[in-house]
Amino acid sequence: MTSTTTTDRAPAPARTRTTARPRRGRRRLGSDTAPRPGMLYVLPAALFFGMFAIVPLVLVVVLSFTSWPGFGDPQFVGLDNWQRLTGDQRVINATRTTLLLTVLGWATQTPVSIAIGVWASGPQRNRAVLSSIFFLPLLLSSAAIALMYHRYLDPNFGLAKDLGPLIGFPDGNILGTRHGALGVLVFVGMWQWIPFHSLLYQAAARVIPQMLYDAARIDGASRWDMFWRITIPQLRHTIVTSSVIMVVGSLITFETVLLLTAGGPGTATQVLPYLMYRSGFFEFQMGYASAVATVLVVLGTTVSLVIVRFSGFAKMRSTLEGL
Amino acid sequence: MTAGATTTARPAPRRTTERPNWLAGVVATGWLVIIAVPILTMIGWSVTSEEDFLSFGPLAPPRDITFENFASVFELGFLRYFWNTLVVTVGSIVIALVIAVPAAYAIVRSNSWLASASFRAFLLGLAIPAQAVIIPLYLVITELGLFDTLIAVILPTVAFSLPLVILILSGALRDVPRDMYEAMTVDGAGSFRMLVNLVIPMSRGSISAVGIFVGLTAWNSFIFPLIFLRSEENRVVTLGLQQFRQEFGINMPGLMAAVLLSAVPVFLLYLFARRWLISGLAGVGGK
Amino acid sequence: MRSSSTPIPTLKRRGFLGLLGAGAGATLLGGAAACSDDGGSAGDNEFDVWVLLDENVNPVSQASLDRFNAGSDVKAALVTEPNEGFRDALQIAIDTAQRPDVFFNWGGGSIRSYARAGLLEDLTPHLEADPAFKDAFLPSVLDAGQIDGRYYGIPMRQMQPKLMFFNTAVLEDVGVPVPTTWEEFLAACDTVAGNGITPVALAGAVSWTELMWIEYLTDRIGGAQVFLDIAAGTGQGWRHPAITEAVNTIIELVDRGVFGTNFPSVQYEAGGAETLLEQGEAAMHLMGSWSYTNHLGAAPDFATQQLAWGAFPAIEGGAGDPAAVAGNPTNYFSVTSASPHKEAAIEYLRQEMASEEYVRGLIGVGDTPAVADIEPLLAETEHAEYLSFVYQMVVQAPSFQLSWDQAIERAQASTMLESLAEVFLGNLDAAGFVQANEDAAG
Repeated sequence: MTSTTTTDRAPAPARTRTTARPRRGRRRLGSDTAPRPGMLYVLPAALFFGMFAIVPLVLVVVLSFTSWPGFGDPQFVGLDNWQRLTGDQRVINATRTTLLLTVLGWATQTPVSIAIGVWASGPQRNRAVLSSIFFLPLLLSSAAIALMYHRYLDPNFGLAKDLGPLIGFPDGNILGTRHGALGVLVFVGMWQWIPFHSLLYQAAARVIPQMLYDAARIDGASRWDMFWRITIPQLRHTIVTSSVIMVVGSLITFETVLLLTAGGPGTATQVLPYLMYRSGFFEFQMGYASAVATVLVVLGTTVSLVIVRFSGFAKMRSTLEGL
Repeated sequence: MTAGATTTARPAPRRTTERPNWLAGVVATGWLVIIAVPILTMIGWSVTSEEDFLSFGPLAPPRDITFENFASVFELGFLRYFWNTLVVTVGSIVIALVIAVPAAYAIVRSNSWLASASFRAFLLGLAIPAQAVIIPLYLVITELGLFDTLIAVILPTVAFSLPLVILILSGALRDVPRDMYEAMTVDGAGSFRMLVNLVIPMSRGSISAVGIFVGLTAWNSFIFPLIFLRSEENRVVTLGLQQFRQEFGINMPGLMAAVLLSAVPVFLLYLFARRWLISGLAGVGGK
Repeated sequence: MRSSSTPIPTLKRRGFLGLLGAGAGATLLGGAAACSDDGGSAGDNEFDVWVLLDENVNPVSQASLDRFNAGSDVKAALVTEPNEGFRDALQIAIDTAQRPDVFFNWGGGSIRSYARAGLLEDLTPHLEADPAFKDAFLPSVLDAGQIDGRYYGIPMRQMQPKLMFFNTAVLEDVGVPVPTTWEEFLAACDTVAGNGITPVALAGAVSWTELMWIEYLTDRIGGAQVFLDIAAGTGQGWRHPAITEAVNTIIELVDRGVFGTNFPSVQYEAGGAETLLEQGEAAMHLMGSWSYTNHLGAAPDFATQQLAWGAFPAIEGGAGDPAAVAGNPTNYFSVTSASPHKEAAIEYLRQEMASEEYVRGLIGVGDTPAVADIEPLLAETEHAEYLSFVYQMVVQAPSFQLSWDQAIERAQASTMLESLAEVFLGNLDAAGFVQANEDAAG
């Protein structure tokens, strides 16, 4: 991918333009004679990121080949940790749980976020008021939200006692069952993140040109058609951005699991980051934890690269091109 | 060509003659209930006294409104935690913006290899989980002699928010039309002037949006304070909440008061900065 | 996109610089805090004492430090840390400049690796040199702080055997006496459950509460040596039949409804299980002796009027001594060997840990210190009945088993706790439990 786009396409056909770009005849997109910023502009960010993110990342990979209880010197043990990891049922389970929660998270959050976002982008007054309320969960930290729900789910003194029976948990024992705990994590994820993603979609939906809808209505399209044929494609880039954020965020969800379920009941909700934390900081096997961490990083990186590459996001085309 | 029908960042008037969308309305109402009930419950509990709570159960509305829960939260040092968290937040926002805006500018406009290599690194960095590098980070922080300081929390927070910030900013900057740069060149501007007089103003909305994003991340950060802070006097709000869980035990109202208090400053910010936030996000998602 | 006719908004130079200044200011503030906190743990003439955050006991510790500081050039400072993060904080700091000079620990596995790595001061010479100091403490408890035959910890808090707590109001209502044998216990459970009340409160959301049950069951069924072998890696280890029988007993108890149905969601630290007992929603609770202090603080009326206590029931035909006790012998203070203020720290321990003021302070908050010959002191306190009971329980116990998760290495403890949780959840049988733990140990 390149940071400046020189496309091979023919210049845009002369349809109705919504931008007031002064016509200067046919132009190749991407060329202008303005001076370009040098690398000094990006140097601080690169250095900062390098020191606090890249270097530790390399160190983690190095540590994965050692055994280190957290004090003293790490001892090199070659591939021991990795051999153990490939056969470790806990890692396999944790990976499975992580992926499950990620997929469920995406499947529940994206449709609702799109729906709410598009709805909220409408001009009606009440929508603006309600949008303000929808924003409230974003004000709370992960820790606060996890603690709040943790209390609500107490089977004897929380909301779970009275509301549990209504959803099939007669003794309020929601967090104590595997399905209940997973369901809670999915629900809290929705509660916590849909406000953010719906904001993205709301902002994006707002700038979809009205004339697209007008033209479609003239052609006799139904609301359903318009949604699927206009709204969704126009939201394409937002869907990608939102999905990358969502998927990566799900993969690394840690605080919520730590404070809400502590990986339980038993090991039912042990996700990879939690397993990493537990092996490192509870079992004091930092080398092994580093191996798990490496797996997590590889997983997250692969997923985000795939999404980005697959969607052509990196080419940075504007959705307004061609209009 | 129509010169007038521009798409701006303000909501365009539309759909005023359509039938109301019942399905969306139902979803929205349902969602409203889901959002509002936990929050209202939290507020309700926080003004209930502990005895009333135990006697009348979790679903009972507060009988006598009391503020004793908030008082006990403050007695435990909440004010100090607020201050620390504020320092961390402001520091993170400013450092992040000062570093990221020029970087995004360079990524979109620069021909240098470092810019494109950095962009790839930042995309990669999106997926680096903080927990994974916490141990080596601890080493780096202690080598720099910064353990148990607020700076130790600020620096990694900034570093880990850089990928998303730069991603969003560069996404917004993409759509600055090229002829504007041309126009400024005609005026004799170098790249720095373009940064200050063109790029920053054009992406003001996105800058405020990512600034708020970094601020929220810093305000709510948990894992870095957990590992890098030790003493009570440096404690931040999120750690304080965790501590409160132990202290308060079954005292639900007390804990809810703490949770509520932890969100008040953010809520105030939201009241003032909401317009910026919404208009800024238009630059994020719309392109 | 803007049309070319609208003016481009500019960011005033002043605003930009102002922001920059704000950021620099905030960074400086954070940095200024850094400077004043530099040096990590202690200043030049100060040493740090790390303790668990505990609103009842911390004032007692602080008072003892104040007494010490009054007469010492080198001052001591108390640093508190919540239970959750305590061992992590310790692990990270123990070999760095941020190390504590004196720190709270549970003995056994919690300090074994540090001791073997030479990070702790060997206190044996100091105890040998001062017999009065050494004899001030109960021998069994002092010995439990040994690693490989050397002393590394001085008892600093209460003895914490685990015992049964009862809500007498509930038991009276259902017409059942306080059980002392296993048969009585089972009968009581059935009666209580028949009245719609949870027989035994269990904070099943954390595993160490469940650990108490297998600890006592194994000890009563097979005797104390069973776990000693496991911890040392000798004998039959986990394959000993007592383990299997204990696990099967647990499964039977769960199926019988002894713990109720929603125990996997019940918390401990949030006071969940203890509150159940206080509110009369459970009749019995197996917990460490500190639970009495908790009840005193949270529900004083209950604690003084409806709370009863007793030893874990005796099991007919079991190989274990019914007077054997499991729990935490005590908490210890250890000294780091690299501390620049070792001498002062040891002097603090020598002066305070067995001193009458400190002991009185602990007793005043419901602790039973591991100090010898304090029966008279205990008898004159407000809580004499409870404290004397606990004290006698330990003095007469033939063995005092350290909590399993503190006694073995962390990695193995983790597997043990997880597999035990699965047993209570009904996901793992005895054979699976044994296998999982063997794999971890091997």
